[in-house]
Amino acid sequence: MSAFRVPLFLRGEVVEQDWVEFGTRGSGRSFLAPDPHVWAERLPLASPGDMADLHAVPFDEILDVLAELGKALAFATNRHVREAYEAGLVAANYPASMLKQSYVALPYVFERDYVREIAEACVGTEYLNGWVTRRLLDGRELRVRAFGARTLHVPAGNGGLVSAVTIIRNAITRSDAIVKVPSNDPLTAIAIARTLADVAPRHPLTRHLAVAYWKGGDAAVEERICRPERIEKIVAWGGFASVKHVARYIQPGLDLIALDPKRSATIIGREAFESEATMREVAVRTACDIGVANQEGCACARVVWALSGTDAAGLATLNRFGELVYEALLALPDTISTKPKTFDPTLGDHLAATRLGGEEWYRVIGGDDREGAIIVSQIDEPVDYAPMLSSRVANLVPVDDLSRITDAVNAYTQTIGIWPESLKRELRDLLPLFGAQRLTSLGYACNVAIAMPQDAMEPLRRMCKWIVEETCDPAVVPPMWQAPASADPPLVRGPEARPGA
Amino acid sequence: MPPAHDVSTFMNDPMAYFDRSITKMHRIARAELEPMQRAAMAARFAEHRASIAVVRRLADRLGVDRLADFDDVVPLFFPHTVFKSYPASLLDKKRFDLMTRWLGTLTSYDVSNVATEGCESIDEWIDRLDAETPLEVITSSGTTGTLSIIPKDKAGAVYTMKLWRLFLFQRFGREPTEDELYPEVDVIWPNHASGKLGHLRMAAMLKREFTGGDESRFHALYSDAISTDLMFLASKMRAAASRGELDRIQIDPKLLARKDEFIAMQARRPKEMAEFFERLTRELAGKRVFMIGAYNLMYEVASAGLERGMRGVFAPNSAILTGGGMKGFVLPTNYMDVIKDFLGVDRIQEGYGMSEISALHWACDEGRYHVQPWVIPFVLDPETSEPLPRRGVQTGRAAFYDVFVKSHWGGVISGDEITIDWDTPCPCGLASVPIAHDIMRYSEKQGVEDDRISCSATQEVHGEAVDFLRGFEA
Repeated sequence: MSAFRVPLFLRGEVVEQDWVEFGTRGSGRSFLAPDPHVWAERLPLASPGDMADLHAVPFDEILDVLAELGKALAFATNRHVREAYEAGLVAANYPASMLKQSYVALPYVFERDYVREIAEACVGTEYLNGWVTRRLLDGRELRVRAFGARTLHVPAGNGGLVSAVTIIRNAITRSDAIVKVPSNDPLTAIAIARTLADVAPRHPLTRHLAVAYWKGGDAAVEERICRPERIEKIVAWGGFASVKHVARYIQPGLDLIALDPKRSATIIGREAFESEATMREVAVRTACDIGVANQEGCACARVVWALSGTDAAGLATLNRFGELVYEALLALPDTISTKPKTFDPTLGDHLAATRLGGEEWYRVIGGDDREGAIIVSQIDEPVDYAPMLSSRVANLVPVDDLSRITDAVNAYTQTIGIWPESLKRELRDLLPLFGAQRLTSLGYACNVAIAMPQDAMEPLRRMCKWIVEETCDPAVVPPMWQAPASADPPLVRGPEARPGA
Repeated sequence: MPPAHDVSTFMNDPMAYFDRSITKMHRIARAELEPMQRAAMAARFAEHRASIAVVRRLADRLGVDRLADFDDVVPLFFPHTVFKSYPASLLDKKRFDLMTRWLGTLTSYDVSNVATEGCESIDEWIDRLDAETPLEVITSSGTTGTLSIIPKDKAGAVYTMKLWRLFLFQRFGREPTEDELYPEVDVIWPNHASGKLGHLRMAAMLKREFTGGDESRFHALYSDAISTDLMFLASKMRAAASRGELDRIQIDPKLLARKDEFIAMQARRPKEMAEFFERLTRELAGKRVFMIGAYNLMYEVASAGLERGMRGVFAPNSAILTGGGMKGFVLPTNYMDVIKDFLGVDRIQEGYGMSEISALHWACDEGRYHVQPWVIPFVLDPETSEPLPRRGVQTGRAAFYDVFVKSHWGGVISGDEITIDWDTPCPCGLASVPIAHDIMRYSEKQGVEDDRISCSATQEVHGEAVDFLRGFEA
């Protein structure tokens, strides 16, 4: 018995035939989707020339369509969104309260001002909407424009927001998107696409969107799409496996933008422990960074490094702080955090063993009911299974000074939540050297804006093709076909002009 | 209630209790066996509650002070993580004093007087424990950068091998003959000759039991030992790689100093492999042997042998034992025939067990693993770890309570999915509880990386560590 159906969205048409069954991660239930082997060939744009209609759309019209789309996505009235929510109840690892909140919030990200801010901050509207002129030192006149590209998107399934962001980015950059639906968020992208077709039938934005499910790694499907003559870019989010398996299609003419798996951490300065009131405030902020989305996000805190000191007084303070964080974790609103729906049994085994090990090295607060737990290290080291921390289990680690703090960061680090602000400023030139990508005020780790760089890069700029048109007047720019007068400076040439380049 | 002296014999010397007959062990009616198991479980728990700190801690936490029914023991089962619950940095820092103290909370023996001064490596520490305590710990490395250490004891190891002898050479359904009780065999061990790593400990145990320590009758594939310290490095490497921190690994200078030795050992392998085959065919052809190895190892040896034109090499009354799961290996469907063809035997025995308990459960002619009578099996709900009913056909997470284990707590939850048919008698005629042949690790089922390095992957991982060391200056 299949729990739901995942139609295929093909540039305005909704395909509901050729159903085949697929399994759903974790739940043991399955869903139906049109056979991707039948439809794969039709997912890519037929010809690159078909991008022309998109480039003719004025930017204001893009903002209008997205704003209309946002309004039409209202949870109370949109049937597709409700279906996506119901499918999510089965397929996603979020409880109803949190899942519902993510759909209720969906319309707001499409608001005109927010979308404009993304375009301005992440690309520059002048580049998106026309040719930007500049004169170089050698006298040539350049005009640069950001063109859209034909792109395959492999969004992450932890929350419908990723699908919405994908569709917004695609529209802003005037790109053509094939969205591969994640199995744990099977209907959000389809719901947005269908609503788009309702509010803007036959509009270029609608005709440049295809959404389909296939099992990630299905080479028979992916090999027909991932070719330089069909797409120019792949945007891959999420899991190690998903990024790794699309990486094999990368070749000249096909670019990978990898928003790969990341982990985040927290650093708390010693000022946090100076008074009971401060400790309580910092505990709430820490709990928020740990608990949002039940710690499923890559921005969520897992290991919390605290400059409490490792002497007896420092440990006593940190243990007390651990109690406060645990209390605050349980008190988070149920729209952002709840008792997790599932609990990794291996993590459960480690937690049980840590507890049985006595309190010489680690103290465990809570966790009896799989509601989340705080492990307070009694030595200046995280637990050996720290990379496994999930389902609202975090590890507080005491340190004496900042010399150990770079241990918090490695090549897989994304966000570091820091308290107080002065400590963040102190660390901001150091931590990026070791891998940190985003330093934010404690409590805001999971409060991620779209109009800023992501994973230490600029994905929107990379999603564009940066095209140059130049004018060189031989009277101004010395021509290469004329021998230079001996007084002239030697020609300065770009790398493309080198022999063999 | 069974008489106390019977219970004591049953739990401390099951071979004597069953007159050294495997048929008696597995034909005992469950109605007779189960009261005995319950009494033994209660007695062993009382003993371990007093002598093992972690058992006491758990029992206190749960408010359990006595056991009566089988299911009473389930909340007291250890997850396998208990045996690696120390901070791995203690090994890096060579704090073997603290390691000993940690180990002391997991064993019924007093290890507080072990002198650890001067211990420079894990192997040296284990040698010290071997010399000064009744323990014979075994280690196994995982991919999380840790090493499991299970405090088994020497007496248990000796006893376990005696049990193996019974099951290797006797046949179910008939009383053992003199030849079956005291067979003369050469032992073939297609593995490293020694080491403290779980399965390598077995080399010495086999030698002791089956050859009386006669080196000339013990034939290992590789002459040297696997270093536990090197395997610990391998484990740390895997963990560091998964964290993106391979650049931060600190190599112990003592280990690095042995770099050339390890490289030479890797280089010797092909030659030793060739010599091993030479020995099998020249010296051992037609002899009665006992050979043991994991499926993939056995298959590699057999297909390599067949390629060299060798088949039917040993006497047909030889004993061949395999097991250990297929993790990461794909063998052709006829792999058992290939192995039999090469070895020249008509029967290959399979066993199912795990390092955390001592018993090996041997497969019957129907391919089902029959649970040893001194072990109480459980099928748990894989999500909740609650015991499933002991009736009908149940599939779930395997857990066992071994009443025979003295040196550490005998209750463990495995990572394996098993199926037990509690009611239908096994067609083989044995009365003991049968576990269906197909056993799978849950990690394998979920497609996630297993967190322990299986014995069959030891070679590969060892190679990785040696290659890694090559990049460093000693």
